[in-house]
Amino acid sequence: MIIDETIKKDIEELSGQKLSDCYQCGECTAGCPTAFAMEPVPSQSIRLLQLGKYSELLESAGIWLCAACNVCGERCPRGVDYGKIADACRTIVLRNKVTHITLEKVDKKFILDAPQQAFIAAFRKFTT
Amino acid sequence: MTSFAYYPGCTLYTKSKNLDLCARETAQILGVELKELETWNCCGAIFSTVTDDIANQVAPIRNLIEAQKISNKLVTLCAACYNVLKRSNLYLAKAGNETYRKRLMNFLDTEYNGKTEVVHYLETLKYDIGFDNVKAKVVKSLNGLKVASYYGCLMVRPSEELKFDDPDNPVMMDDLFAALGATPVDFPFKGECCGGYILVDKPEVATKCAQTVIENMAASGAECVATTCPLCQYNIDNQQKMMSKQYNLPIFYFTQLLGLALGIDEKILNLNNHFIDPKPLLKQKGLLQ
Ligand code: SF4
Ligand code: SF4
Repeated sequence: MIIDETIKKDIEELSGQKLSDCYQCGECTAGCPTAFAMEPVPSQSIRLLQLGKYSELLESAGIWLCAACNVCGERCPRGVDYGKIADACRTIVLRNKVTHITLEKVDKKFILDAPQQAFIAAFRKFTT
Repeated sequence: MTSFAYYPGCTLYTKSKNLDLCARETAQILGVELKELETWNCCGAIFSTVTDDIANQVAPIRNLIEAQKISNKLVTLCAACYNVLKRSNLYLAKAGNETYRKRLMNFLDTEYNGKTEVVHYLETLKYDIGFDNVKAKVVKSLNGLKVASYYGCLMVRPSEELKFDDPDNPVMMDDLFAALGATPVDFPFKGECCGGYILVDKPEVATKCAQTVIENMAASGAECVATTCPLCQYNIDNQQKMMSKQYNLPIFYFTQLLGLALGIDEKILNLNNHFIDPKPLLKQKGLLQ
């Protein structure tokens, strides 16, 4: 994937968020239900983007752990929605034809057991 | 009888039939017909927030157009369908989105004016029927059953768009259960995430999220839980077997408890479709033979 300065514009346009609005208070991370496993956590992810370390975030595992729960966007005192930024970052990766999951890798017991809704959502967020 | 357009969604047609059937049956008792859309397709299960992603908006908008044949109001039951359909409608109406709106319309056969109002069945019960009228139809009071109302993410956030209830302390379902004779249990994580679709990719992460929620409900004295979402139901019911501690907390759909109080047939309640068997608790409370 080619990553350069235009990527900032892409992320801001696709997410509708302005990266410089974030003042790094950490409220998003505090409320994030998956932050315990997310690397980097939401506020760190935004910081990486502010510092121009785009590939570091786009190649990280963190963006794939966002459950789209909307807590970060709901609570940010600066009106920044990290969930939308993560959605934009995943989209950029996926539009470069790099898929995140394949059906073969999904635990078979879930395929029989879990509600369809889980697969439709996961495959929408995680596949090209 | 008042009729409203009704969108069941794919999961309610298969894994979560009880959520759907109990809603149709209880609505009937309460004098409202949930009229299923003549044709419908999956809403996509999760909203895409990507500004130019019109492809993911086509499916939900088609359902909104179809609803117009029946009523201006479209009733939903699954929290995810509610969230997606309502937000797609707002995406379409959003100021500054003209280019995307025009592009999106190229994928649809019918003009659409954005007039379909997406509501959740809980809102129908509260605003169209009224909890007092629901109360008047109770044949089996829930008898002090301690119910934790679990709203999860998709019912309450983003609150600016959904305007459903207070995102940090929603009470609409609690008020319904109070009207049914139950004792609503207050707990801090009413809107906390169950782990959602992360289950498919990283089940251990999702299960930890679900356990945080269950732990919180159990510590608050809940005897059982009510939810509006098949995925929440699965994550906090079936995944209890994967948790580091056993809670044995039965997880209902809110329409099952409503159905129980309104005396609908046990076959429709389908109390066998649970991982944690709810029948012992209901028997102990005198709510089941
Ligand atoms: S809550 Fe908002 S301002 Fe604070 S760190 Fe997160 S994105 Fe930045
Ligand atoms: S939307 Fe994603 S990043 Fe934000 S709090 Fe929820 S899981 Fe965390």
